[in-house]
Amino acid sequence: MPIAVLLVGISVSAAAIVVGGAALAQRSPLVPGAVFEATHLPPLLVLPGEPVQLTYDVDCLAEGVDDAEARCGVAGSLYLRARGGGDFEKLPLQQADARGVRQLTASVPDSFVVAAHGFDYYAELERVGTNDRLLVPPGGEAAPYQSRVLSNAIDVNIGAADFSAHRRGARVASARWGDDTASVGLEPGRSAGHLGASAFDVDEAGTVFVLDQVHRRVLRWARGARLPARVPISVDGGLADLAVSDDGSLYVLESVARPGHAGPLVRRFDETGRELDVVETAERSPSQIRVGPNGPMVLEHPSHQWTPMALDGYPLPPNEQRRRATTGRPLRSGGEAIVLRTGNELRIAVTSGDHIVRSWRLTSATPLAEVQLAEAIGPRLVVVVRTFTESADEFRVVVLDQHGIAQQFSVASADWAETAPLSRFRLVGRSLYQLGSNATGAFVDRYDLEVR
Amino acid sequence: MRRARGFVVTFVVAAILGTVGTAAAYHTRFVADNCNYAASTPTSYITRDGSAAVALRARYEGYQWAGGCWNDNDRDDSPNDPREDPATGGEGGDCSGFTFKVWRESLDQSSAGFEQWGLLRYVHGPYTAAAFKAGTGAPNVTVSKTALIKMDALASDTHIGLIYAANPDGTDQIIEAKGEDYGTGVWTRTYRGSSSYSGVRRTGWSS
Repeated sequence: MPIAVLLVGISVSAAAIVVGGAALAQRSPLVPGAVFEATHLPPLLVLPGEPVQLTYDVDCLAEGVDDAEARCGVAGSLYLRARGGGDFEKLPLQQADARGVRQLTASVPDSFVVAAHGFDYYAELERVGTNDRLLVPPGGEAAPYQSRVLSNAIDVNIGAADFSAHRRGARVASARWGDDTASVGLEPGRSAGHLGASAFDVDEAGTVFVLDQVHRRVLRWARGARLPARVPISVDGGLADLAVSDDGSLYVLESVARPGHAGPLVRRFDETGRELDVVETAERSPSQIRVGPNGPMVLEHPSHQWTPMALDGYPLPPNEQRRRATTGRPLRSGGEAIVLRTGNELRIAVTSGDHIVRSWRLTSATPLAEVQLAEAIGPRLVVVVRTFTESADEFRVVVLDQHGIAQQFSVASADWAETAPLSRFRLVGRSLYQLGSNATGAFVDRYDLEVR
Repeated sequence: MRRARGFVVTFVVAAILGTVGTAAAYHTRFVADNCNYAASTPTSYITRDGSAAVALRARYEGYQWAGGCWNDNDRDDSPNDPREDPATGGEGGDCSGFTFKVWRESLDQSSAGFEQWGLLRYVHGPYTAAAFKAGTGAPNVTVSKTALIKMDALASDTHIGLIYAANPDGTDQIIEAKGEDYGTGVWTRTYRGSSSYSGVRRTGWSS
């Protein structure tokens, strides 16, 4: 039975609220006012023999102290093993200071970087003299970071951006800014910039769904329709991401946690806007929601891991989300897509089980910013990454195959108004869709990719 | 020229702040009941992670346009106050007031020294987001967006956020006072690549 059907079955009469668990998290469960947090950029994809230094930036301040230099003592251990199982080896984390940022660090022994499949690891950090502990990532041994070795990556160079030759898409939906029935809301911008048309998605039939967070509704354009239908939904009205499942369910990932809770909510609505269930995310600032092979999943931060929101149709509480987190984004093909941007280089891998089945090292003469999308079309991978200078930016669309670049083109950033951070592109079949905006309104454009 | 521009910015901010306390439509007494106007304390140095700790103490607190006073109880004490109104007396800083306080800047734009402001000290500072973007004020300089590190900022004409950490996908975790509906917190953002945003650095950090 499809999970979505099960979800409807178990929760059609009342919204089931799953609240935060008490497991270790990035946010220390201390009294208000205490600061104990660590951030870490995991080296998800490394090159054979590449030196790997793991660093944890630690912020720690005792509660009630109004002096930022009155730091807490921190210490920690790293737990490391070769991929494929076995016991974790415990290594001490060393104190370091990099340009005024306190860190705990450890070097990964070379033997782990030449291993066939890379290494798994997690860290346990403590506030010295207390019982306060942090696991990074928060799933610890159950869901460690997985760092893989890129042995046979295909090198591709996308050259330099010129910010002028932009492909134009076919406009499939548009709405003016405003408050009437066919308009899309724009959060007032005098104090904080323009925020509007928070996110979108497209289903297999070509129906376009735009999350109009200001009016707490989804605007839905049937394929070829000029005007949208309106689906009212009960959301908090802030920036949020949207994903539509095959059964028509609308998943909305809010961005602000309720007081006393660690993470924002994922809400599920049926196609009429009736709320079916609600689940709290495990971490403080998830950045996107997508429907994966086993249901809705969220990219969490600060862990940078993908976590499932449901299992066998049942919403998962946060502690179970943490335990089932994965490093890569689960694909419907059964593998994962892993992305790591380092400067002007983008490392990308598609995995199957413990093996990397395809990988690329994409370099650019123009700086790279965020990867908006990395999804498979059969054996190919479609990547959308923003390139930028100090005064210009655009999105580069690159279709990668076993030979390198199968197709590439640029599109305008079209980001007059801010959306949820990774909500600007969707890939459906062989069509790429972009949510854009200008001073007049918001729109969705379609680009048909020339891949067989 | 730079000083003249700074004066104009100061005047505008002061004019906005001057309306606080005369609000008739909204009623929070957060500022009136909790905030103070104590003198700042000059400090000899500040580290980037010390500044991050100051910023993190504002997390989960409120947002107030033109504001600059918050406590540390991890909730917005003036929720749902009207957007776009600088005179509601609510908890929190706005984006530029938050940055001013976290960067421990001086009301004197010609001073690059560090000033410690208490959480409950009601102060916005003389800079708008656009002024920060332009590198206005002795402590502030513009920096290439590719060179930004922890506690540097990305600023547009209407908003400024501080870099807290980098993500593997090229996004950044930004700590910012985002708006009435959001309060102050850490979120994943894509400001770095956007041509609306420029890089800004507070100078003089201790290492």
